[in-house]
Amino acid sequence: MSPSDVVVSVENVTKTYQQGRVAVHALRGLDLEVRAGELTALYGPSGSGKTTLLNVVGALDHPTAGRVLIEGRDLGTLSRRELSHLRRDRIGFVFQAYNLIPVLTAYENAETVMALQGVPAPARRARIGELFAEMGLEGMEDRRPDELSGGQQQRVAIARAIAAGPAVVLADEPTANVDSETAEKLLDIMEKLNSERGVTFIFSTHDPRVMERARRLVRIVDGRVDGERGNGA
Amino acid sequence: MAWRNVWRNRRRSLVTVAATTLAFTVMILYSSLVQGYLRTMERNLLDLELGDVQIHDPRYQDDPSLYSSIDDASELLARFDARGYPASARLLGFGLAAAADASAGVQIQGIDVARDRRVSRIDERVRAGSWLDPDAPKGVVVGSKLARTLVVKPGDEIILLSQASDGSMANDVYTVRGVLLGVSEGVDRAGVFMTEEAFRQFFSFPTGAHEIMLRRPADMSLDAFAAAVRDLAPGERVETWRELQPTLASLFESARGLMVMVFLIVYVAIGILILNAMLMAVFERIREFGVLKAIGFEPRQVLLVIFGECAIQTGLAILVGLALAVPGLWYLAHVGINMGKLGGMAMMGVVLDPTWRGLIAPDVFTMPLMTLVIIVAVAASYPAARAAWISPIRAIQHR
Ligand SMILES: Nc1ncnc2c1ncn2[C@@H]1O[C@H](COP(=O)(O)OP(=O)(O)OP(=O)(O)O)[C@@H](O)[C@H]1O
Ligand SMILES: [Mg+2]
Repeated sequence: MSPSDVVVSVENVTKTYQQGRVAVHALRGLDLEVRAGELTALYGPSGSGKTTLLNVVGALDHPTAGRVLIEGRDLGTLSRRELSHLRRDRIGFVFQAYNLIPVLTAYENAETVMALQGVPAPARRARIGELFAEMGLEGMEDRRPDELSGGQQQRVAIARAIAAGPAVVLADEPTANVDSETAEKLLDIMEKLNSERGVTFIFSTHDPRVMERARRLVRIVDGRVDGERGNGA
Repeated sequence: MAWRNVWRNRRRSLVTVAATTLAFTVMILYSSLVQGYLRTMERNLLDLELGDVQIHDPRYQDDPSLYSSIDDASELLARFDARGYPASARLLGFGLAAAADASAGVQIQGIDVARDRRVSRIDERVRAGSWLDPDAPKGVVVGSKLARTLVVKPGDEIILLSQASDGSMANDVYTVRGVLLGVSEGVDRAGVFMTEEAFRQFFSFPTGAHEIMLRRPADMSLDAFAAAVRDLAPGERVETWRELQPTLASLFESARGLMVMVFLIVYVAIGILILNAMLMAVFERIREFGVLKAIGFEPRQVLLVIFGECAIQTGLAILVGLALAVPGLWYLAHVGINMGKLGGMAMMGVVLDPTWRGLIAPDVFTMPLMTLVIIVAVAASYPAARAAWISPIRAIQHR
């Protein structure tokens, strides 16, 4: 693989939170590279820094030291506005739960990022229609989030995250709030999107079943990578 | 999105819209009444007493005697006529009036009856009897309080005494033709009006006049008109009504300022209500704004969402407020408020009409509207800024 395939590059990143007088070291010199088309799961004990890592990679938080590169661009060199555009255009987010806009329909939620990019309505309709069909969301277009199950909501969130064709989708415990059957279905979808469309995923999880399905498993302990293994393939 | 957000907390939005509507409606009606009041005061002052511009001989201010007269008054009037400026000359003298049981000091005004109608509507303010008639030179019209002091009514006789211009004693008997309604403090207490011919005869004053009163054409500003008049009357003292009555003129201005203050006070209350409602709305949806920021909304796009919500609510309040204000305005302008005993009384030297009528004019709407929009924008900007510049991680972690 050529270095240009590296989508996310985390270089010796430190993140220290100051909590009163106590410094909390959430990340302690962490290195990680993620290549296009990977489906990576981060796991590790609670408080090991998974969420912090995803926030730093997603340009929601700045590292205390070290560099984060997305498709070769050093986030530390970008302005707030550029970071905001980077999040819109190159990164997809799936949060733990409740992250749809309640006043918008499933369809409108899914198209928000594309609308923000200025993609014309017919193109949006075609793209979302295709994704909804693929993800088993046909017929749900006009429902509001509170008329959807947790799993359906999370699928709409995934549709929103991948609709605009991001370089990487970051998901912090995407299955934590759904039952195991629904979790399986979500994983099926993510796997399918990954294998058929080449969507790059990084997610964090505590769920052994989720880990089973990941192609690459990275164990995080105490703010560092503690080891990794490939899965199955 | 903003539209749907407005209806998320229906009750809160309705309360906000209702309060804004109420304040806006009341402010329109209030503005109409205040401006109607000021307009009537101003019109009465100008129509009945001052005109727009007055000319006097420069000596008249320090020495308001028979001799401080404008000698070429008729020549000036001809010049104003040529320009089409409504103008009329008045003759002014002081004297003593006596009736059967009482007497009083009076100011006698000699009036060119036909011409005076071009500049003044005092002839319409007769309470009893009738206005002057050039064919009845012995008939005089007196102010309302003077009639009471002298205990006279139309048909009664009064004797006027003074000194004529040649130094001789002037005295004559006149019949009261009419008694005026309230006009102004000065006229009510001491005004005696007679025809020009009667005045000239009484005071042995053959030519000249003491005062020329002018009205400005509708398309000319007061200052431009005064300047034009000054050019036509070199050497004379030309003053606008604002210069003649600076206290009243500034009172009218400050009354408008006071009105805007009242708008501000009422609207600040509304502003606080909106601030509170918007803060609650933003706080409840903090995670949502975090998600929006995370997926790439820029601060200004979040601002747009919040200001959009506010604009919808305020717009709604404005529409409903206008709809409610229209019948109220119609009533105030066409029916008005009966002033009862206060009607016809002079306030600060200017007479009040018996009914207080509202004014319908563009700035009856624009002033309450603009103040409202500014206050709402100010009130919404803090919650909007909170939402727009929120840190996405903190918002998403917020529970
Ligand atoms: N805003 C913050 N202020 C202070 N400390 C923080 C903050 N966010 C995270 N931390 C601390 O940083 C460390 C890493 O937290 P992080 O949320 O990244 O862990 P995690 O691996 O996601 O844990 P979990 O599996 O429970 O979600 C923890 O000790 C946590 O208490
Ligand atoms: Mg976490």
